[in-house]
Amino acid sequence: MLGLGRRASSHFAKDEAKLAALLSDAKRFKGESLWQDAWRRLKRNRGAFLSLLFLIFFMGLSLIAPVLPVPSPMALDLVAEPQPPNWPWEANPRLAENLDPARKAKRFGLYSTEAKGAFADNGWQHRSFIDLVRPMAPGETEDTLQPAAEVSAFVQEISGRKPIVYVKPGEEPGTVLERHAVVYQSSDRSRIRYVKGEQQIPVRLTQMLTSAGTTAIYAEWLLPGEPPLTEAVEELGYTNEGVVGVTLPEDPTELTGTVENDRLHLASRLDGKLERRFSIALKGADTFTLEGARVAWGDEWPTDDEAWRNLLEPPAEPESAMDVESGTEPGDEPEDPTAAEPEEPTLEEFLALARLWTGEGGSLQLVKNGKRSVAFSERTATAQEFLPEPGLGLRAKAEEALEAGGLVATLASVDHIEGTWDLNWFDRQLVKGRAALFGSWQTGPLLGTDGKGRDLLSRIVWGSRISIQASLIATLFSLIIGVTYGAFSGLMGGRIDNLMMRIVDVLYAVPFIFVVIFLLTMLSEMGVDRMKVFYVVIGAIYWLTMARVVRGQVLSLKNQEFVESAKVLGASTSRILFVHLVPNVLSIVIVYMTLTIPQIMLFEAFLSFLGLGVEAPQVSWGLLATDGTEAISAIKVFWWVVLFPALAMGATLLSLSILGDGLRDALDPKLRGKD
Amino acid sequence: MLPFLFRRLRWFAITLFCVVTISFFLMRQVPGGPFDSERSLAPEIEANIKAKYNLDWPQWKQYLQYVGPINLDDDGLFGDRSGKPLGGILTGDLGPSFKYRDYTVRGVLSESLPISIALGSVAMFFALTLGLSAGVFSALRRGSGFDLIARVGATIGIALPNFVIAGFLIIVFSFQLEALPVAGWGSANKLVLPALALGAPFAAYIARLTRTGMLEVLSQDHIRTARAKGLPEWLVLTRHAIKGGILPVVSYLGPATAGILTGSLVIEKLFAIPGTGMHFIESALNRDYTMAMGVTILYTVLVYSLNTMVDLAYTLLDPRIKLEEA
Repeated sequence: MLGLGRRASSHFAKDEAKLAALLSDAKRFKGESLWQDAWRRLKRNRGAFLSLLFLIFFMGLSLIAPVLPVPSPMALDLVAEPQPPNWPWEANPRLAENLDPARKAKRFGLYSTEAKGAFADNGWQHRSFIDLVRPMAPGETEDTLQPAAEVSAFVQEISGRKPIVYVKPGEEPGTVLERHAVVYQSSDRSRIRYVKGEQQIPVRLTQMLTSAGTTAIYAEWLLPGEPPLTEAVEELGYTNEGVVGVTLPEDPTELTGTVENDRLHLASRLDGKLERRFSIALKGADTFTLEGARVAWGDEWPTDDEAWRNLLEPPAEPESAMDVESGTEPGDEPEDPTAAEPEEPTLEEFLALARLWTGEGGSLQLVKNGKRSVAFSERTATAQEFLPEPGLGLRAKAEEALEAGGLVATLASVDHIEGTWDLNWFDRQLVKGRAALFGSWQTGPLLGTDGKGRDLLSRIVWGSRISIQASLIATLFSLIIGVTYGAFSGLMGGRIDNLMMRIVDVLYAVPFIFVVIFLLTMLSEMGVDRMKVFYVVIGAIYWLTMARVVRGQVLSLKNQEFVESAKVLGASTSRILFVHLVPNVLSIVIVYMTLTIPQIMLFEAFLSFLGLGVEAPQVSWGLLATDGTEAISAIKVFWWVVLFPALAMGATLLSLSILGDGLRDALDPKLRGKD
Repeated sequence: MLPFLFRRLRWFAITLFCVVTISFFLMRQVPGGPFDSERSLAPEIEANIKAKYNLDWPQWKQYLQYVGPINLDDDGLFGDRSGKPLGGILTGDLGPSFKYRDYTVRGVLSESLPISIALGSVAMFFALTLGLSAGVFSALRRGSGFDLIARVGATIGIALPNFVIAGFLIIVFSFQLEALPVAGWGSANKLVLPALALGAPFAAYIARLTRTGMLEVLSQDHIRTARAKGLPEWLVLTRHAIKGGILPVVSYLGPATAGILTGSLVIEKLFAIPGTGMHFIESALNRDYTMAMGVTILYTVLVYSLNTMVDLAYTLLDPRIKLEEA
């Protein structure tokens, strides 16, 4: 129109190349789009822009959480109370002894700990699932399924715990599938504390530290046939469980040894086996630690304790309060006070005795000068040697008992779910990257630990993943429903619009929180994953406002020329809806989205507080905030457990709301083109 | 006004019907029931219990019985097994509680509701006084230190879950200052912390709304006129500015009441207050269905009627708004 098409006649561009460039520029020129304008204005809004940067940074961190050298978010350490933050410039009193000074200097000057195991560390609640298929009882229909009492009794007998039962029709017609979930507590994988001391006598067994803290409860948990364990009183010390081979000393005779610690774990509740771990410190030119472990039933222990003691013990001291006798075997009474002064043992003797102890299936290792150059992945492999795969014992028992007869049911499957964190492919790659980058190095408790000894920084970072993910998915869900519904309603107008909006009004008046709680309790009883319910249900609530907003926009848009011309051109309703109307309401939708995400995060926190959020061992900010309120006590203020999760959550929600306000201004058509 | 109320009532009935129907049938789809207790009962006893609560009937019949108003018999006619001709929620009878065997749902609710209402109203009072005064002051002293503090406080209040705020309040007021009790119910000082924690997010939001509203009103012509004719500042404020400035707050009161009712679930649990919210959580977890439904119905009624009242109040404050649009 402006004559740009006429060649070589332009006053300004005489040569062909310039003219072509001008022409293509002219063709490409569209003016500043809404988005470019909004972006320009957003960048000028300092608060909103900083919030955006912060959010991008934080979401990036949460995305790559597995690569960060923070401790496992679920690695338990049954400390008695939350540990305060260990600031980077402070020495860590608990961990300093385990540090290699040379390494300490190299690593950013931070005090650190070794990564203990992989992320699939032992959890604090694990459960076994036993699926049994039985024929349908006479008179029973698919609608009236009930758990059969004798099947439950059977599972209770072999598992030692009352199961939770779900019943559903089996795959074969006329059969019933009963799924029995046997829940074990953290203390079932016992954390037995040990007696430690320079001249301490190795007491056979010291303590079952149950989270409930009482033996009475523990006594009920014992499996049939399992030797009873007695409890002890004290909890002492801290040890880093070290591994791997080192070269033997040149002259082993120079060494003197003391038993550093000796403790008994319940290796596997499902196998009912006990694991004994001990370590002997050998002192000479180098310091060696001999570490052994053996898994066995209590009564399979070797009986020649005498030789063991005589070898190691100095003349016996009076029995201390923490020497608690074990009721396990009669041969295990406290030591003979008249034992002769031991000669200095050789390393060979140590090894022989230690091998006697560990026996077949046990393991024995030597650690030199406290050096543990263990690779990340090897550590788990070693741990698995100690701990047989849980669930095996239960399966064997169930098979055995079912073969013996008496119960008309077949075993469908036995499954054991540790409280482990399922890492997907992407996360596993990141973990590998972490191992390559940082090895077994990890930060110390920079933000302190919570009541179960879990690192708070790690939990905040990992928790952000679930919180952000949940709120994003739920928002997206509400977005899709709300935009479609609102746009359709606004486009149709008239009676349909009226009816659809009335429905929204009705839904508005429903106290949804109650319905959600209702649904969450019901559906998780049915075995539906809670987070999925959460996404769907929350998405289903928050679409209401979105639908109203979008409808309003569409009402004002639909009489404009571009919609009418689309109609004239014969576009279908859905085409008009999604191609012409929806892009035009996107700006307001984006604004509304940034305001919905905080609401959903708060709602997630709310549900976590009521115990309806994510389930352990997973962690979310809501759960952390809840942990924080639970850690409040009059005796001591564990401020870090309350403050840091609140800070993370507050900062994120704050920047989201600032960003939302900024976006609203930036996308406001009335302000368009202005500054 | 009457037609408006009638229309509201109609939609109220529809809403309530939806809530009751959906939750009634939903909960019966779930395996197990309130009587799957630890001890398995003898079949005869179980049958008797089921008969007592009419659980042996087909679901549609249970539903009709639950809704009322006519009590059904085994044959589907008047008079139920208890002999009374009328019953069901239409007569205000919410049924017996499945878990608290000797109580009716109505009995439990009438004990706990006053507690929740007291907590909620005090929280609302806190939210309004704190929010309005902070909002008005920060609008008047725009850009001052007070304004900054109020705005930061308001954003924090909005960005944190109320139980976290409650945690900070407990740490400060109960443990550091030792001024207020940590939890419980029964005296006025036990009410302060829960009400503060419950009202805090709403106070924050109200403060923000008030500030924005006041700033807008203060820049309008009639304020300039009032100032120009020499009215003292406080008169300008009270007579001309506040009414327009708090309009957004009034429209927010509806969602705020709903939010306070919901928030009280958490706060009641945290402060061990025996209110309705606590009963709801427990009943949902215990699968005490009649109780859970009773609370849901109660809250629907509360939210709906409060919203209607807010809409009415809105028209009183702003004559430009007609009820027909509300």
